[in-house]
Amino acid sequence: MSAWHRPASLTEAIGLLAEGGVVAAGCTDLFPATRRQALSGPVIDLTRVAEMRGISETRGGWRFGAAVRWSEVLSAALPPAFDGLKAAAREVGSVQIQNAGTLGGNLCNASPAADGVPGLLTLEAEVELAGPAGMRRLPLAAFLAGARRTALAPGEVLVAIHVPSHAAAGRGAFLKLGARRYLVISIAMVAARLVVKGGRIDRAAVAVGACGPVASRLPALEAALAGIAPEDAAAAVSEALVAPALAPIGDVRGDAEYRGVVAVELVRRALRGLAAEGMR
Amino acid sequence: MPDVTPLPAATPIRMGSNAGQPRTRADGLLKVTGRATYAADNHPAGMAQAVLVTAAIARGRVTAMNVEAARAHPGVVEVYTPANRPELALEPDAKPSFFSKLTETLQDDTVRYEGQPIALVVAETLEAATEAARLLAPQYAAETARVGFDLAPYAPESVGFGFPIEMSKGDIAAGLSEAASTTETVVETPPQYHNAMETHAIVAEWKDGKLYLDTPTQAPGMSAAGFAAWLGLDPADVVIRSPFLGGGFGSKAAVVGAFLLAIQAAKLLDRPVKLALARHQMFGHVFHRGATRQTIKLGMDAEGRLTAIDHHTTAVTAAFEEFIEGASGAARTTYAAPAIRASHDGVRNDVGVPGAMRAPGEASGSAALEIAADVAAEAAGLDPLEFRLRNYAETDPMSGLPYSSKALRECYAEGAREFGWAGRPLAPRQMTDDAGMLVGWGVGTATFPCPMFGAEARATLRADGTAVIETALIDMGQGSWTAMAQIAADSLGLDVEQVEIRGGVSDLPDSGVAGGSGYTATLGLAIDNAGGDTIRQLAEIASSDPDSPLHGTGNTRVVARGGRLYAQDDESRSESYADILARAGRETLSGEGKGARGENDANDHSFQSHGAVFAEVKVDPDLGQVRVTRLVGAFAAGRIINPRMVESQLSGGMIWGISFALHEGAEMDPRTGRILNRDFGEYHVSVNSDAPSVKVLTIPEEDAFVNPLGVKGVGEIGVTGTAGAIANAIWHATGKRVTSYPIRLEELLDL
Amino acid sequence: MSHDLTLTINGTRQQIALDDPRVTLLDLLRERLHLTGTKKGCDRGQCGACTVLIDGRRQNACLALALSHDGAEITTIEGLAEGDTLHPVQAAFVAEDGMQCGYCTPGQVMSAVGLIAEGRAGTDPERIREGMSGNLCRCAAYSGITRAVLAAAEEMTTTKGERKTA
Repeated sequence: MSAWHRPASLTEAIGLLAEGGVVAAGCTDLFPATRRQALSGPVIDLTRVAEMRGISETRGGWRFGAAVRWSEVLSAALPPAFDGLKAAAREVGSVQIQNAGTLGGNLCNASPAADGVPGLLTLEAEVELAGPAGMRRLPLAAFLAGARRTALAPGEVLVAIHVPSHAAAGRGAFLKLGARRYLVISIAMVAARLVVKGGRIDRAAVAVGACGPVASRLPALEAALAGIAPEDAAAAVSEALVAPALAPIGDVRGDAEYRGVVAVELVRRALRGLAAEGMR
Repeated sequence: MPDVTPLPAATPIRMGSNAGQPRTRADGLLKVTGRATYAADNHPAGMAQAVLVTAAIARGRVTAMNVEAARAHPGVVEVYTPANRPELALEPDAKPSFFSKLTETLQDDTVRYEGQPIALVVAETLEAATEAARLLAPQYAAETARVGFDLAPYAPESVGFGFPIEMSKGDIAAGLSEAASTTETVVETPPQYHNAMETHAIVAEWKDGKLYLDTPTQAPGMSAAGFAAWLGLDPADVVIRSPFLGGGFGSKAAVVGAFLLAIQAAKLLDRPVKLALARHQMFGHVFHRGATRQTIKLGMDAEGRLTAIDHHTTAVTAAFEEFIEGASGAARTTYAAPAIRASHDGVRNDVGVPGAMRAPGEASGSAALEIAADVAAEAAGLDPLEFRLRNYAETDPMSGLPYSSKALRECYAEGAREFGWAGRPLAPRQMTDDAGMLVGWGVGTATFPCPMFGAEARATLRADGTAVIETALIDMGQGSWTAMAQIAADSLGLDVEQVEIRGGVSDLPDSGVAGGSGYTATLGLAIDNAGGDTIRQLAEIASSDPDSPLHGTGNTRVVARGGRLYAQDDESRSESYADILARAGRETLSGEGKGARGENDANDHSFQSHGAVFAEVKVDPDLGQVRVTRLVGAFAAGRIINPRMVESQLSGGMIWGISFALHEGAEMDPRTGRILNRDFGEYHVSVNSDAPSVKVLTIPEEDAFVNPLGVKGVGEIGVTGTAGAIANAIWHATGKRVTSYPIRLEELLDL
Repeated sequence: MSHDLTLTINGTRQQIALDDPRVTLLDLLRERLHLTGTKKGCDRGQCGACTVLIDGRRQNACLALALSHDGAEITTIEGLAEGDTLHPVQAAFVAEDGMQCGYCTPGQVMSAVGLIAEGRAGTDPERIREGMSGNLCRCAAYSGITRAVLAAAEEMTTTKGERKTA
């Protein structure tokens, strides 16, 4: 029979991890991914690690413990920049999943269709990692190394996600497209955040998910959006500004060409929606 | 002896005040409190847990399994593989009954489809059995799998359950060559898996020389006989308890190998064994709706009247066993034409054997035929509803027999009125909503036959004047505990509250098959006859008793009502059941009844339920996303026993149509033959949000011929017509013809 | 090795000793405590049949390791009615025929109780459909389910204050 541990502190958790085992939090991806098989080894439940809990405003911005559940994100009092992340929280699986699944789990499982990633990319999120060699911080984009791959070193855990103050500005949006109305894995999804000053877009952050091994930002589009009026943003979106950041594949859910086309349309809609929300 | 004349069977029975009432579900309280018991809820003392190990390749052999590692895992009781497989009285490939199919009980190391049983692990706990199953780590020698339609077709033995592969009338070639215009439509339907919410499960216990099984079955009597044949037992020694099925949809009628393994394990280990299939194991071993490629050629005259219907289906069946989806049957039953041909051939894939899945034949057939009808309507420049009315079949299109009843014209009219069909633009892509969505309207004709299998029931009046009905009744959601009690109460002249139903166990009179939409008609008739037989005997007792006020009335001159018998011509002469029984010194009085189609009835009439389904879809012009925003279905299905249950059945069937059109289908890897979406995450069925507005109308229909109750059946017809109506609405919204199901978003964009 | 945990299940505090840490909350309820009202539909969090309330929030019991919920309050379908008095959601499911085969029904009912407690859907049918979409019903009794949740939500809103909270 295998062992099961529920450390209360990060130090304890890292000590346990050094001896090997399967990390568990909300368990919403654990069982589907492993068909319960990997549980034959020791299990380290991180949901009680104090450092991994809670959402708080810090001097530098916002901190989300890795074990924060999606429903906590949804009910937290957060500035409008997080509206996209909240919209994503509402579409992660079902409400039952949102009450169990964690932000950290969504990032660490690194599914190309992870609902949380595009929104966090537009929020310039950084991840805080801890391991035997100490703490380190990485931009989220650097943490996500590929489909189902992360920069986590052996024995290392994701402790928290940080959103810097400057990225918590403006307003965010998120759109997800699936083959079913709800309870669905994305065919494509888009997050956008606009900061508007004096009737012009001061900063734009746009990211697309499920259209490549990892979700990615659209720097060319973001540059093109800077300085224009928000109501002109949707019209400024072209395939040429979106496509280079994508590497869609065809699968059960949709073919590659379709993904490319709808990604462009979803970007337009997200921007149109933000403009309509009264960005001035 | 008093004058005793049984009523002629063909006379429709006058139903009393119980049938027709929208009573709430008799088992509703059990179901909302978690007290309704399904197979896997049972835990006899000493029970062991079994986990089935299934093949992860589609074709080849199992070359090795680490049985030692599995056996060594703590808590493991036994591991069964072909090396130590339990012996059966019959070979696993025997087919003891008409509905049986070849199955697998570890007879050898061959793998004939993904999901085939290759081992059974039994342990003290589910966790230990699960872990040991993993430790088996099977190794395979895989062969190239045969996948898809583009293989050499062959001529099957039969279609569905014993229908000829081809039926025709008239001169097809002439009908097509002399037509003013012809159309050809090709539509593919995917393999679909029943996926009842309750996976197949069994708890097997050998006790006192008998075998007790808690397992869901749509046919308790037939299943008990099947298990007995394979195990070499007297059918009377097999007792199946199956009061509630967590859905069946056709997948829970025949015996499957996995169950035989669990039963044998229980015998060899001398303790009860439970086995519940995992969700992914529902894709292979327990039947599915086979894929079809249908080619439909229609010829029309200048007015849009069909001159020929040529419907050919290529059906995918298993490499080792045959079940041909009878999709072309839709051509025989839907529209009138002087020449009709319904033909089938098969191709063999490395898949589990297909079988009957809710509306077998008709669901797939109508999903294609209704598209073909719309293509023809477009070619003729006709409104799709007008086209259907012009080709209305006044008599059975193939046999020419009169219908026992057919209120389809009323269905079209009432459905169209409720939907607001009038004013529909003829051309596609004409309507949009405020949000810029493309709006389209489509119609489909629904039809399903009214088969009757045999059923038996016993009715017993008790000394206090109440009654009990005994039959191996099952409920898989159709509301049989409710509707059967209503029928019973009317047949006994009692209030439904005074009738108890004792059912759910196979050692009671055989309730027949809950399938083919024929359960209410067949078992209902058996119950009605049992009640009638009881009342007839009661009337004989009263009539022959000089002390009874009914003395000398004879059983045809009494009326049973409210727990009393009344003289028909003099209502002042009456007596309660309790008094009649008491004076006769009877504690109970029992009658028996059978339900079946009259021997020659089918020679005189064609029996079909009918309906018309109208769909509104909204399609996102840039994303191709479809939402079925409104469905209206108008159905004529004879006498309605319980409108509340019937609405639920029809509404659920129509949502199956949404699922068929937009969501469902197994995706096969063309190289390996493995199913890529073997779970609820990726094998989509409709969710609540996918079905915002479903309206059901039932059209009154008297039927004096289908059976004495006038009951047709509603379990399956809702699926038919609906998928086609949605596909046609999508064309109307977008101008894109659907060529395969489920409709993929990308196909609706100009990519 | 024995793993001990304490759960309050339907109001009763229980000490549970598990011989195996891999036991899910669902299998604990069904196979060890014989509370079989909660159903297993997929064992992967993809169908909602096993929905229970954990500390008042709806979750899939199949995805919950029992040990991870040491100290939690669990409400299952068996704990919803007060004696013979059905919870308004249960009563509404019967009245509106929000079921057919009944297998998904305990999960649907528990999910609806959770949904109403969350207070986000109100009596908007579209929000209710969305909020109930984590619960598959293969019989597709969705029309009745939506009607039932709507009716219960309305009733529980109007009688708020009179009912003692669960």
